[in-house]
Amino acid sequence: MKRDTEKKITIEDLIRLKRAERPPADFWATFEAEIRSKQLSAIVNKRPWWHGLSRAAIVFNRYQLPFGAAAALAITWAGIHYYSVSPAQAVGMSSARAPESRASAPAPVSLAPAAAAPVALNKALVRTEVKTGAQAPVAAGEPVVTATASHLSKAPADITLDAISKSPFADGIAVSLADYREPAADFSRQGVFGSDRDFETTVAPVRQAASDPLARMDPAEERRQRLLAPAFPAYSSGARRALASDWMKARSSSDERMYESMDHGSNDRMLVGFRF
Amino acid sequence: MNASKALEKTLVASPERKLEADADLDIVRKVQAGDVAAFDKLIVKYRERVLGIIYNMTSNREDAADLAQDAFIKAFQSINRFQGQASFFTWLYRIAVNSTVTHLRKNRLRSFFSLESVREDDPVSKELIDALTDKTGVGRDAFVRELQEKLNDAMQKLSINHRTVVTLFEIDGLSHQEIAEVMDCSVGTVRSRLHYAKQLLQAELQPYLLK
Repeated sequence: MKRDTEKKITIEDLIRLKRAERPPADFWATFEAEIRSKQLSAIVNKRPWWHGLSRAAIVFNRYQLPFGAAAALAITWAGIHYYSVSPAQAVGMSSARAPESRASAPAPVSLAPAAAAPVALNKALVRTEVKTGAQAPVAAGEPVVTATASHLSKAPADITLDAISKSPFADGIAVSLADYREPAADFSRQGVFGSDRDFETTVAPVRQAASDPLARMDPAEERRQRLLAPAFPAYSSGARRALASDWMKARSSSDERMYESMDHGSNDRMLVGFRF
Repeated sequence: MNASKALEKTLVASPERKLEADADLDIVRKVQAGDVAAFDKLIVKYRERVLGIIYNMTSNREDAADLAQDAFIKAFQSINRFQGQASFFTWLYRIAVNSTVTHLRKNRLRSFFSLESVREDDPVSKELIDALTDKTGVGRDAFVRELQEKLNDAMQKLSINHRTVVTLFEIDGLSHQEIAEVMDCSVGTVRSRLHYAKQLLQAELQPYLLK
């Protein structure tokens, strides 16, 4: 090997050596024959339909951002359009379901920025709950299906209509809130779901027999009473307070029992024992 | 002046290429009009270059022949979608490179060499081999074979994108702009990949570099 030559050999020179790697001359005859047969078969055979799909996927990949933006705009437009049309129908539906609430609060969905509106709405809803409870009396001895109110029916009671009216979905949100704040009496009534609810009605008395403090005391109701007690003395009745204090005592005693059962002696691990 | 000309050549397509592209476009229009035999001219014109690119990317002559044929067939099938916005050879190269990249990704674990012989009738390669070996010819063939294997081995150690850039620039002589069009990336990316690939190759082929 000749390594002491004066000519400098670079990496580019070495790579260009690959240009000299060529097939022999007879290779091209075979190449042409094969390509001709493939060309003829390509003319005769139709391309499968999924080739078009792959092309569409390539186009979609290239324009991901515009397609995404267009889809977002379309969804937004559809949402606005849907919620701007439906409130009138939705109000009609809710009024048909609970006429008392409409009578006591003439415009629960109106977006007038009056300061008294939220309070009126809340009061109306409280009344509606009471009325609806009276509407569906449960016969003595019949199994009761307890309605499980969702978190939506409890939490946003203090949302003002001013805040709602600023959102583009204001009408829809207001109607949804009004619907959710109604008691879920429709679902709790027997016969709504037909015979499928028979299982629940047979199980319900067994459930009520358990002495669960949370079953007797609705946390939302208790919180409402606690908050409204300074303003409305009627809410601070002795019986309700006694009930709440009983529940608090039961909870604190159960916590104490749990802490007592914990072994604090060992350093490397904490043992927790449960008494049943 | 020479340096600026060389830089310009690496950056943009040469005027000869533009004339070539115009001639190709005429042939493509004929094929689009229904003259299927006109496509043979394009095959004959570009078969060596397309095969060279694919061979240097795969280091396997059988795979390269199959992929080159497939690239021409794909181009023939899609010729009606060619609008003439880019030059035909850029479009054809893109088809060939994409087919090869897909093939390499599919067969990543079963790659093996099947090399063509180095033809010493090329003056550049003859001069280089003379510089590297003893002119008397003792052990010359063995050394050329060893160097060829090392070169291909070093190329295969590069990532697919880096290998493609090196092949298109150093072996096929495309400009940065043309490579960017073929690989659908920016010119800066092409330069960066080229620089990095050369560094890696230099490290791999250090024993063969004479200073």
